[in-house]
Amino acid sequence: MALNLEFTMDKETYRHSLNGHEMVMHSHHYLALITKMVEDLTDLGGPEILSDVTEETMIMILNDYFQKHGLNDSEERLRAGEDYFSTFGLGRMHVSGDADGGEARLTSSHLDEGWTMKWGPHDKPVNHLACGFISAIFSAAFNKSAKSYGTTETASIITGEPESAFIVTAL
Amino acid sequence: MTVMRDTAVKALANVQVQSDENGLIPEYEVLVNLLPIKLLNAFSERIMAAAPPERKAEVEAGLVRAAYECGYHTGCGIITSDIFNDVVMPMVTEDEKDILRGAYAAFTAWGWAKSGIVQLKPGEKMIIRALDYYEADSGGEGLRGFMLRGLSQAFFDLAYAETYPDGMDTFVCHQTKGIEVGDPHGEFVVVKK
Repeated sequence: MALNLEFTMDKETYRHSLNGHEMVMHSHHYLALITKMVEDLTDLGGPEILSDVTEETMIMILNDYFQKHGLNDSEERLRAGEDYFSTFGLGRMHVSGDADGGEARLTSSHLDEGWTMKWGPHDKPVNHLACGFISAIFSAAFNKSAKSYGTTETASIITGEPESAFIVTAL
Repeated sequence: MTVMRDTAVKALANVQVQSDENGLIPEYEVLVNLLPIKLLNAFSERIMAAAPPERKAEVEAGLVRAAYECGYHTGCGIITSDIFNDVVMPMVTEDEKDILRGAYAAFTAWGWAKSGIVQLKPGEKMIIRALDYYEADSGGEGLRGFMLRGLSQAFFDLAYAETYPDGMDTFVCHQTKGIEVGDPHGEFVVVKK
């Protein structure tokens, strides 16, 4: 299934939207530095904050899309979530599972490849944004609220693995 | 002829980025991403709220730094890109001044901030006025234009500091007014660090 993409622009403010939600362009430098910042602020819950705001925002965007397009099948919803990830330029995601949880893989990743371009490889997975995104896909696909799933990154392109891998568990 | 802002904004506003078969957007010598404004604003507010008073400056500096480095590296890619060459460079007659005018046309066209230069002393000082910027919606207390501060500093460094990539951190940008605190517009002042 291909995602329906409607790009619009407010003629007064020049803000851009995708499917009715305001979006803005940044680069891998931005996301790498934000990710580095939350790693440095682990004592303040930085990684969880990045993951949580991503999950909450993406649940809203995905639910809105599913409702507007009458998308009720869970498998189709998972595919739409993957397509959103790619449309945002965040990489290629492959998700599988059911309401009890599942797994996800990234065969390419904006954050991991961007971080590596900027600083070289890292010694542990740090894709907190993808964790929140994946939790959101599962919650939206199976009609659950935020914090219904926990996502853990178990392997990462950033450490030199060919793919990033994530385990999704129903909470 | 100097840069005709409306012409540049209209032409640049039509630029649309699209991901490739790997779900990536390689443009302007970087990997571009598209992120929801709600996510970015919620992140800034949540991380600022999590910081105790004595660490808020550290968090604020991190948010500005992310925008600054993004702006410095991506900015170099933008002002040397085909689209900038096609749209802006034919109107450039005042070198760095016009390139900066073109850059703020791009900031406006791409939805970062409806902004422009109101005062410019080459190599010394620049004052930016922003009539709309997405961080004004963040809902936090106090001035919140972290992204536009970082971008303004970055582009002044690109224009007047040492040649890329050696000119980082030559200038600094302070926000002096904000829509988010009730001012009619945001104001950003770039000076030597």
